[in-house]
Amino acid sequence: STSSVLSTEKDESTASKDSTTEVASKSQESTAETPKQKLLDIIGNMKVEVSYRKKLQQLKTREIKKQATNKLEGPDGKGSMLQKTTEDTQRGKPLSPELVEAASAVASFLPLNKKQTESELIAQLRRHEETTDKQKKGGTINIRNVISEMAVKRQSPAQRGVRISNRISLELDEDGQRIKPERLSPQSSDSRSLKVGRRLNIFTKASTETENALKTVSSPTIWDLEFAKEIAAITAQPPRNGFEEMIQWTKEGILWEFPIDNEAGMEDNAEFHEHIFLEKHLEDFPKQGPIRHFMELVICGLSKNPYLSVKQKIEHIEWFQKYFEEKKELLQEI
Amino acid sequence: QDPTAAHYIFQDDPFLMPRNAANSRLFSLSKESGRNAAKYIIKHFPQYFDKTFAEPNIPCLMPETLTPQIKGLSEEALKERIHLRRVKDSVDLFDQLIQAGTPVSLETTNSLLDLLCFYGDGESTPEKEDLEEPGENASEQKAPKREFQRGSQPSGSRWRENNNAERIFKIMPERNAHSYCTMIRGMVKHGASAKAYDMYIGLLNERHKADVHTFNALITAVPYLKERFLERWELAKVFLNHMAQQEVQPNLLTFNALLKTLRRCGGVGRSVALLVIKEMEALDIEPSLATYDHLLFIFYRGADLCPSGIISEVLDDVGKRSFTPQDLDDGMDFNISDNLLCLSLGEKCCDLKDIKLAYRLNKAMEKGDNWKFLDLDRLNAYWSKFFSLLCMMEQIDVVLKWYKEMSSSLFYPTPKNILDLLQALDAANHLEVIPSVWEDMKQLGFNRRQDLLEELLSLMSRERHPDEIQLAFAKCAEEIKAVHEQTRREQSLLEWTGSALGHVALLFSRAGRTQEAWYVNMMEHFQQINRIPTDQVMDEFLNCAKQTNCPDEAIKLVKLAASLGLPSSQRLKNRTEKEFELSEKQK
Repeated sequence: STSSVLSTEKDESTASKDSTTEVASKSQESTAETPKQKLLDIIGNMKVEVSYRKKLQQLKTREIKKQATNKLEGPDGKGSMLQKTTEDTQRGKPLSPELVEAASAVASFLPLNKKQTESELIAQLRRHEETTDKQKKGGTINIRNVISEMAVKRQSPAQRGVRISNRISLELDEDGQRIKPERLSPQSSDSRSLKVGRRLNIFTKASTETENALKTVSSPTIWDLEFAKEIAAITAQPPRNGFEEMIQWTKEGILWEFPIDNEAGMEDNAEFHEHIFLEKHLEDFPKQGPIRHFMELVICGLSKNPYLSVKQKIEHIEWFQKYFEEKKELLQEI
Repeated sequence: QDPTAAHYIFQDDPFLMPRNAANSRLFSLSKESGRNAAKYIIKHFPQYFDKTFAEPNIPCLMPETLTPQIKGLSEEALKERIHLRRVKDSVDLFDQLIQAGTPVSLETTNSLLDLLCFYGDGESTPEKEDLEEPGENASEQKAPKREFQRGSQPSGSRWRENNNAERIFKIMPERNAHSYCTMIRGMVKHGASAKAYDMYIGLLNERHKADVHTFNALITAVPYLKERFLERWELAKVFLNHMAQQEVQPNLLTFNALLKTLRRCGGVGRSVALLVIKEMEALDIEPSLATYDHLLFIFYRGADLCPSGIISEVLDDVGKRSFTPQDLDDGMDFNISDNLLCLSLGEKCCDLKDIKLAYRLNKAMEKGDNWKFLDLDRLNAYWSKFFSLLCMMEQIDVVLKWYKEMSSSLFYPTPKNILDLLQALDAANHLEVIPSVWEDMKQLGFNRRQDLLEELLSLMSRERHPDEIQLAFAKCAEEIKAVHEQTRREQSLLEWTGSALGHVALLFSRAGRTQEAWYVNMMEHFQQINRIPTDQVMDEFLNCAKQTNCPDEAIKLVKLAASLGLPSSQRLKNRTEKEFELSEKQK
């Protein structure tokens, strides 16, 4: 992609270009830190992460833009690049002075517009440096992975720290040894399947009798109860529509259960006939007379009463019985 | 699925529908916190809620009576307090009983130890905490369980030296296996892994047998006990062998704990994980979602590793079954989508297989109860990643179809999604859709994001478009200009960048709005922000001036170029003289 820009000057400047790239590589070795250190610095510091992402994005968009501008507007493309390099100087790391000098030397050789060539070369060198740095650290892809991963997810700092340390071991094992990207041969990639393969051979499957014997029934401890609660909470999502909401409310007891049971909540375990046919409780009363009449009316009323339990009705009748017993003594006295 | 409706929990007042992801989270959290506030009031002022009107009574809406009934020093009282989970009261009562000389049975002591180890010496229901921290727990839907869940997070309370649990453990006249086991579990849960290991050695010395839960806890503690990968695996194997020796059958949680430990074992983990899976199969233990999650993490952490067939096999399994939650980590598994995205970012494997996997994953999610594993936050992240993948891999009409159906009902696009969408539109040469994307951006609240604005402007101004589109673009540019200029009280002034300014000027020029292009953009702002307009902008402006026949403007342009010392000023001057009919004074 970048070669398209230089293709116009390739014939003239190949020789001098080589010299500049030599200078470039020499200067980079002197400034290299250990890859792990660089990576740790980058990842550990969240602020740096944002600018890096922007930088990557701008790298990407710049390349796209350059391609587009080069196709459509020939001479103007250089002008826009000039603008971009001015942006670069504000943001990126500075190139070494030797490089800059070398670039200006090249520019002075060429008959074309000196300033433009110089800025182009400098931009190109800068790009070289960036990509070499990134690849030294293990590839543009990895950093993009890491950074886009971190940008999207929001986690507590502790979790993020764990995640970051997990990511660091991506590159280098926590032991400090660099992991080799595995070049799987076709054979071994086939063998990495869930279906075929050896097993650990530590456990043997218990037969069902021993399993049943081993299951001693003990009351669930607090660990078990809490675990069950947490498991249930995993899939406890808010209701997606009105029906699910009503289901949830019914389970909680806020809504009535359908078909409606009008004895819901009442603990009366009596059948209907015990409510209605209450005559058997009248055995203790005289068979004739006003008292009987009165009691039969009482029973009639009670049998139509849906609000009292059987026990309460029987209590009513017994109260009357007791009352009349007392009154009988009084009456007989008179 | 209604593509224009937000989630059911937001359907109350159309004004209150959330427009972007941050708002949706805020609204759902505020809904939950309202509920919590109500519960708090009922709990702390039960005297105002004692009339039961409802028949039958609705117990969940009434205040709970949690005061212990049994008074006095007795084991029964202790048991009751343990049952009510009052940690401090139980410990005090226990101490009183011991001092009074009453023996406490082993069983009760063990249940006291259970309570202490579970809560790590903190209280079970932290007071007055629910109101002030509605947002702390990301999974806000678990609010009623939140009190207990807070106690179970390992990052919460720590295991203090010689706390009540240890003290009671030491003064117990006799201990059985259960005592040791519960101590081990408590120590692991609250971060004292080394002590847990010592306790386990003590258990072995007393010739007790640990139970499966204890072993699970020990296996999860392995990464904290050893540093090097091989040592970790060896220690885990030691525990597994002990399990086999003590005839303790492993369960699903054992293997999940093992895989979780293997996640932190790098290359060793990779070589061993498949063996573990085969072992599970041999023991007829069905893997849960957490198992797959750990497995994928172990194998797919880097984009360098060649994707093997594992992920499609995993998807096969996942697609066939409807999962029930069995492990605490089950909710994490739909970060399978993470791995899918990693696969596609690795530009080596940009084949259609990836998007097919994504579709299969979607289908798997719709099966049975599987959707329940994703709460609102993760659902958003999942769809966001899916959409990014779509933008990268699919044709533009498919992308737009999904976009119309999904955004604002299934998920809220993130800024990255909008960027991806713009790039997809660019790749498919559908730039006329951009004004509607801008409308969406405004609704989502992204209209102040510098990166998105840059992208938008550069796409709009790159080429010359037919006139209606150009007019629409210019209107967008005007709105963007307004965004840059207005400041409301809370927001800081959005800075113009050089390129943005240039693009806006271009767009205005192309649409023939010379006045605005000149006054508002060029003169003042360029000098204000010390930027130089590009030649393209200058030329376009000249074209525009020619079209609208404003030679004055052209002259102003030349003057500006001269004042800025641009190399193109000469060229502009020549061009102006050629193309415009200027009076002598103007020359």
